[in-house]
This record gives sequence, structure tokens and C-alpha cells, in this order.
Amino acid sequence: MLILTHFAMTALFYGVACGLFFVTLSRGHEGLGRHAFPALLAGVMSHVVYVAVDLMGDDTPPMSDIHSTLTVLSLGIVLAFLFATWRKPAMAILGAFVTPVVLVFFLASSLGRSVAHVPAGVRSALLPIHIVVNIAGFAAFALSFAAALAYVVQERLLKQKRLGGIFQRLPPLHVLDTFGLRATSIGVPLLTFSIISGVLIAVRSQPGLASLGATQLFAVVAWLVFAGVLLLRLAIGWRGRRAALGTILGFVCVLAVLVGYVARAGGGA
Amino acid sequence: MSDEIVVVGLSHHTAPIALRERLSVEPERLATQLGELVGSGLVAEGVIVSTCNRVEVYGTADDPKSAAEKVRAFLEHQCEGTEFAGQVGPTVYARRGEAAVRHTFRVAASLDSLVVGEPQILGQVKEAYEAASSAGTVGTLLGRAFTRAFAVAKRVRSETEIAAGTVSVSSVASALARKIFGDLRGRRVILLGAGEMGEAAAKALAGDDAALTVINRSPEKAERVAGECGGRAADYMQLAEELHRADVVITSTSAPGYVLTTELMKGVAKARRGLPLFLIDIAVPRDVDPRVGDFENVFLYDVDDLQQVAQENLAQRKRAAESAERIIEMEVAEFEAWRRSLALTPTIVAMRQRYQAIVKAELERTLPRLGDLSAKERKALDKMAGAVVNKLLHAPMTELKATNGTAEGPIMVAAAQRLFGTLEPAAAHDRPSLVSDGLVAEKTKA
Repeated sequence: MLILTHFAMTALFYGVACGLFFVTLSRGHEGLGRHAFPALLAGVMSHVVYVAVDLMGDDTPPMSDIHSTLTVLSLGIVLAFLFATWRKPAMAILGAFVTPVVLVFFLASSLGRSVAHVPAGVRSALLPIHIVVNIAGFAAFALSFAAALAYVVQERLLKQKRLGGIFQRLPPLHVLDTFGLRATSIGVPLLTFSIISGVLIAVRSQPGLASLGATQLFAVVAWLVFAGVLLLRLAIGWRGRRAALGTILGFVCVLAVLVGYVARAGGGA
Repeated sequence: MSDEIVVVGLSHHTAPIALRERLSVEPERLATQLGELVGSGLVAEGVIVSTCNRVEVYGTADDPKSAAEKVRAFLEHQCEGTEFAGQVGPTVYARRGEAAVRHTFRVAASLDSLVVGEPQILGQVKEAYEAASSAGTVGTLLGRAFTRAFAVAKRVRSETEIAAGTVSVSSVASALARKIFGDLRGRRVILLGAGEMGEAAAKALAGDDAALTVINRSPEKAERVAGECGGRAADYMQLAEELHRADVVITSTSAPGYVLTTELMKGVAKARRGLPLFLIDIAVPRDVDPRVGDFENVFLYDVDDLQQVAQENLAQRKRAAESAERIIEMEVAEFEAWRRSLALTPTIVAMRQRYQAIVKAELERTLPRLGDLSAKERKALDKMAGAVVNKLLHAPMTELKATNGTAEGPIMVAAAQRLFGTLEPAAAHDRPSLVSDGLVAEKTKA
């Protein structure tokens, strides 16, 4: 019952924050917009309690199944967003793109509650580091996706010469592009480390049995696309719209893998 | 009669620039002028707002009509012996009382500006107020009016979109460049050609610390414009190489055909490897082939686009001005209520003092007859006496405050002064008649 209450409260706060960010972006309603961050912070607090209660009631470490992966990942994205936009009021409006992702991930976490016990051998000292780095990497990709989405919208408005409220409220193109590049540059090495450490843990615990599970495939697909975008950015000067579309495509691939596993876990597979 | 605010002056609405220039007061002469105005008794308090768009004297007087005439004469006197002699009078406007307060608020909130919503006026009014404060010519009424005006201006800016968007072609270009590149410091701007509007846009961008390069078919002209705008001149033959490195290009040539053709720009775009390029085509006929605007990471705006944005922003400001006027009306009403309460204050204070004096005298007469009272008992008696005064005065004071500012107000004050015996002996001789006004008689009949 307690866990359900916290789930509902967290979802409600994130939903309210999402709505407030959206109203601020679309209508420029600063009065309402002022409450978006407090609502998001309330969601974070409720989310932390929810994760704590969830972990206490479950023997498995976080990210061992799709449910806990999404629960912790959505929290990681919010924290990364708060960290990245700290004292950058112009970037706060990205909340309109980040909070829907957070909300969707968080709500989806309730669909895939399949218990996947982690064997005792896997619980090495490397595991917590692997988990934290993994979450940080995905959170960086989510921020990169939000900036890319904002870039595409802003670029479209500029090309079409529709310079109204949304255009005025979104950050400059260069700022969004740099933010996206930075987030991808942070995300790729983090996920590289996470994948290598994951393989090490798996090989050490079950030599010969290591195979691609839900979250592993999820990580590999994300890594492939984002590393590709980063490579193209650095090697052949991909920037702006093209880089933004690549980033969005990468995140859509991640979402597709995720949806597949949520559906499978939800179906009891 | 209580003091009222009076504003006398001329502005871009009424007077040509030459006359405004003649009457403008340099900052170093402000204290002397204010001293003359207040010292000679034209106004009780005084502030002079002198900008390129207005010269206005703000003052207070118990006879605002006469004060306005005197200040008008003072302004006319400034132009005596000049080519403007006799021309000042018709251009001067005067506002008194509530209208003067409204004018003060509207000026500070930039509703009376040439470009509605421009931000400089608030700073200029603040400077004028500070100069007057230093000269010692600001009292309670003007002090309150100006501090409220600053708060109203801030409120208008935050609650309406009065300052949203830019309203000139050059500032629109500069604002758009900032929306693409963020900070313009160190960004490379090319001015191609030397049209007047192009120069204005280049100056606006150079003002944001962008590095300006001027290219013209005539090297002499390029050098001259570069010198005026604070940039460097480059040879026309280097145009393609300069374009490779540029962030913003303003074209303003008088060439009959396209200068930046699709062929040229295809090569440029390739060499730039996806770097964004903002092209501002201010020339008529256009210098940039419109198809260039379809290139990836190239943003092309011509003079019509920029003018349309400027006009939309201006229309938006006009809409915002309507909401701003509503805010101003609310604030004027609040200010007037406060000002009227100033007139009531001496009567209320006198009523209270009189009752307190009576109670104190009676207590002093009675206390010796009550024998030895403890400090606690004395305190209780004092408290009771205070409560009696408050309760007796509650109803008349509430009524006075309620009618303050209405037609009945002055009659009620006069009645209170007579009934409570608070009139000064001298004033008691010319006390107003209650019945002659008709209001009391009507009330009695009713």
C-alpha cells in the first residue's frame, strides 16, 4: 500500500511538473512556470522514498530487471537535468522535453515487474559502480535527446520565420547544440565503461553463460547509436539539425528496445 | 487645501526636437534649475526629467492650476531672446492631480515613450529623481509618487509583454543573431555593401562585441564604413574566403542581381562543414538568391522578413500596453487613496490627542481620591481609559475614512472638526458651512 501511494504521488508530481513546463513553453505563463521546479523537486523526493521502499522490499539490486531499471533511470534523468540546468535559468525550459521522458519511463516501470534474481556470484564490488555509471550514461543521453528535440523545433521555427513565443522562450540554437554535444560526450564514455564492466561481471560470475539480456541489449543499442553520432560530430563535422536528428533517432532506438522488453515483462515472459 | 502633484512640460508628442534640445537641462545644471523652481516658490517640491524626448517639471502645490501657469511661464522664459521665443506656450502641456500621477506612472513605465516599452526611460527618470533628492527638492508627495512609479514600471515590465521583442530592423537582426549563436562576442560579422540600414545592423551587432569585416567593391568606402562601425575592411576578391569563416553576413549592396548565388553558397556551405550561417539581406533588389535559405544550417532573412518581425513586435507591444494601462489605473487609484488619507491624518491625530488629553486630565483629578493604588491597578486604569478613547473614536473615524475621497469627504472632515472641537482658533473663523453644501440638509431630510 505504502509503495503504491509513493508511486502515485511521484507520478502525480512529475505529471504536474510536466504540465507546468509545457504551459510555460507554449503560453509563456511565468506565474505558473515558477511552480514547475518545486513540483519536480517534490517528485524527486517522493521518487527517492519510493525507490528506497522498493529496494527494501526486494532482494534484487537496482537495474536487475526492466522495472527497477526504469524506476532508477527515471530518477537519474531528473537528477541529471537538475544538475545540468543548475543556475542556468535559460535552460530550465528544457524541462518541457525532459519531464515527459521521465514520466513515461516512470509509468512504464510499473508495467514490467518481472523478478530477475541476481546470482550471488554477480554481486561483486564492481556492481554498484557499474549500476551508477550506467544510470549516469543513460541520463546523459536523455538530456541530449531533450536538447536535440528542442533544437529541431527551434530550427524549424527559425527557418519558417515563425518567431513567436515558443521561439523566444527556447534557448539559442548554438546553446542547444553545445548542450547536446556535451551530454553525448559525457554519455558515451560512461556507457562504454558500463558495458565493459557489465561484461566483466557477467563473465566472472558465469563463464561461458554470458548472454545479452534485456538491459544489456538496451545498453548496446544506445551505445552504438550515440557513439556513432559523436563520431560523426567529431570526424566529419555533423552539427545542428543533422546531429540533432541523429540523437533523436538514437533515443528512439533505445525507446524501441525498452518498449519491447516492457511488453515482454508485462506479458509475463 | 492639500497639496497636489502637477506636471508641466513638453515631449516628442508636442514639440519638435530643436525646441526640446533648447529646453533640455544638462545633469550639471539640474540642481540650479531645481533650486530656482522651488526657491522662488513656483512649486513646493520639484523634479526635472530631461531626456532627448521630453523636458518635464514635476512639482507639488496647494494651488496646482496657478503653479502650472507659473512653471509654463518659467519654461517660456528659458527661450526668451532665442528663435523659439513665443513658440513654447502651445507645445507645453500641464497635468494636475490624478492626471499628473497617471502621467508620472505612464512615463516611468515607458507607455509615453516614442518607442513604447523601451527600457532607457526608467533609468532616466530614476536619475532625475536622484538628482532632485540630492538637491533636497523632493518631499513626501513627490517622493512617494516616484518610488511608486518605479514599482509600477517594474510591475508593468514583468506582468505584460510591453518590452517583448525588438521593433527596429537592425535590432531585430541583432536579436535573431543572438537566438542562433547565443553570445555574439567574437562572432564574425561581414557587412557586404554599404547601405544605410546595413550599416545600422552592423553597428548593432558590433555593439554586441562581434568582430566586423566590411567588404565593398570600393576599398575606400569599405575603409570609411569600417572606421565608422569599429571593424576592419577586406578586399572584395576575398569574399568567398571571408564567407567560409563568417557567422553573420549582412548584404546591402546596390547590385542589380544576386551577389550571393546558389553556386557560390554551395561551395561556401561545403567548406563550412555544417557551421550555421545567418544571412541578412537588406538590399533591394535582393543580394542573396532566396534558394540559399533552403541550405542546411543557413538562415536567410530579407528586409521584408525583418520588417514584418519588427511590426509584429510593435503590435504585440501595443496589445501589452492595454494591459499596462489597466495596471496604471489600479496604481493611480491606490496612490490617490493614499494622498487623500494624508489630508485626513491631521484631523484624526487631533481627535485622538484631544480625547487622550481629556482622559488624562480626568484620571489625574480622580486618582488622588482613590487612595494608594498599586502599579498594576494604575496600569489597568490607564488601559481602560485608552480603550474608552479607542471605542468612542472608532465609529467617527471609520466613517471619516469611508467617506474620504468622496464628495462627502470634506464635509465629514469639517463636521468632525467642529463636533470634536479640534479646529485651530484661527481656522475656526472660516470653517466651511455644512448646510450650504446641501448634502447635510438632504441627509437630514432623508
